[in-house]
Amino acid sequence: MPKKKKSAGQRQRAAARRQHQDHAGPPPGTESGTAAPEGARRAPAGARPSARSRPAARGKGPARGRRGAGRRRSSSRSLSSGAVIAVVAVVGVMVILFATRKAGDTGAGNATAKAIQQVTSVPASTLEQVGAPSGGWAPVRLPAGTPAVEASGKPMVMYIGAEYCPYCAAERWPMVVALSRFGTFSGLKGTTSGPPPEVFPNTATVTFYGSSYTSDYLTFSSAETETRTNAPLQTLTSQQQQLFGTYNTQQVTGSNGAIPFVMIGNLYTWAGTSVDPGILKGKSFNQIAGVLADPNSSIAKAIDGSANGITAMICQLTGNQPTDVCSAPYIQQAQSALPAS
Amino acid sequence: MRVARWVPPATLALALIGLGASIYLTIAHFTSPDVLACSSSGTINCSLVTTSAQSAFLGMPVAVLGLVWFVVMTLLCLPAAWRSENRFVHLARLAGTIAGVGFALWLVYAELFIIGAICEWCTVAHLAAFGLFAIAVVTAPDLLAREE
Repeated sequence: MPKKKKSAGQRQRAAARRQHQDHAGPPPGTESGTAAPEGARRAPAGARPSARSRPAARGKGPARGRRGAGRRRSSSRSLSSGAVIAVVAVVGVMVILFATRKAGDTGAGNATAKAIQQVTSVPASTLEQVGAPSGGWAPVRLPAGTPAVEASGKPMVMYIGAEYCPYCAAERWPMVVALSRFGTFSGLKGTTSGPPPEVFPNTATVTFYGSSYTSDYLTFSSAETETRTNAPLQTLTSQQQQLFGTYNTQQVTGSNGAIPFVMIGNLYTWAGTSVDPGILKGKSFNQIAGVLADPNSSIAKAIDGSANGITAMICQLTGNQPTDVCSAPYIQQAQSALPAS
Repeated sequence: MRVARWVPPATLALALIGLGASIYLTIAHFTSPDVLACSSSGTINCSLVTTSAQSAFLGMPVAVLGLVWFVVMTLLCLPAAWRSENRFVHLARLAGTIAGVGFALWLVYAELFIIGAICEWCTVAHLAAFGLFAIAVVTAPDLLAREE
């Protein structure tokens, strides 16, 4: 094989190598200046290899390339492991924060026990400060002689609605506040109205489905006919069906079967809502429940004010019982503002 | 074989599990969320999650986006794809899983802190996405380095 002629650069590097050997001994990886295979040189037993003798410290050519690639791969592996650990850590932190979240941070329809209690026990002082319901709500006074609406020997309040319905969602708030002054709910759960494209989608509310109500003064009959995603939920009882068909008409309520439909015994009825669902937009159940005791809150003014109007009607139905509720001046005032037959 | 023998079947299984969950969620999206075998009250509430404002991204249902993603990942996790000499296949798998797990993190955040409910079937898809991500990033250094 013909010997290639060295270039000027190669000659210079060779001269420098010879000079280096004269002063510092053989280059790394060689015995007496003769090239040895990588890794062939062994340090004396028990001796720590010097920096110069460690191949990685001064590798040249293909060996250095392989070692460089190895280092890059090693750092890539560290980066990969770090990325996996980082994702696990992020999820872990989110789960911990979720598990230890404050009551007000739960989702739109999730209600804590405390929030349910806040709805069912709005202070009388707040209700008094809020006073009468705001305008725009027009319950109908049923004519004298309307047959009694009763169940179990007590006058009956009836609600017919559906979980998807945003107006029902808005109306349940004052109904729960008002009815809680005459009796006790159990099994109330938070939910939201239907998703888009429903108007006022995902309005936070309670559902009467699965709840029960006991009172010494009245009975409460409710039905949620569909879930928030329009699946059938509850079927009307024959009594509910008869009342709904008789009174939820164009002639009586001005609607043809709209929901929510509410009857306060044989005294008052309405189809529609006394609370604008728009004011609840973007609020979670716990946020709404949390402001009901604040008479300066616009949400409390709407819901508590409407509750006072419903309370005034129920007081008429129960013969102004219980007196601690019905004899309150603001309830008397609300009664005087109710439509006459 | 360029990766450990268990990698291709494991990733293919994860992709198929995620694909199954996505198909189920997509069917529920276009029919009714009530078809999902899942609690509909309390913290576990698929219906609440799949009908929330966060169930769509740029107007596209997230269930459909997940379906498309898992179809692509299934293709990229076939044994032939793992054996591929084409660097782009491995880069695409890596980039896809990074994007997928990033989106899954956002959805988990939305479930926990915006919607306040967890969807079991979505969680199956999220776990599958995370598994794919973990395997893809751990195998990537070797796969991509050999192409150098």
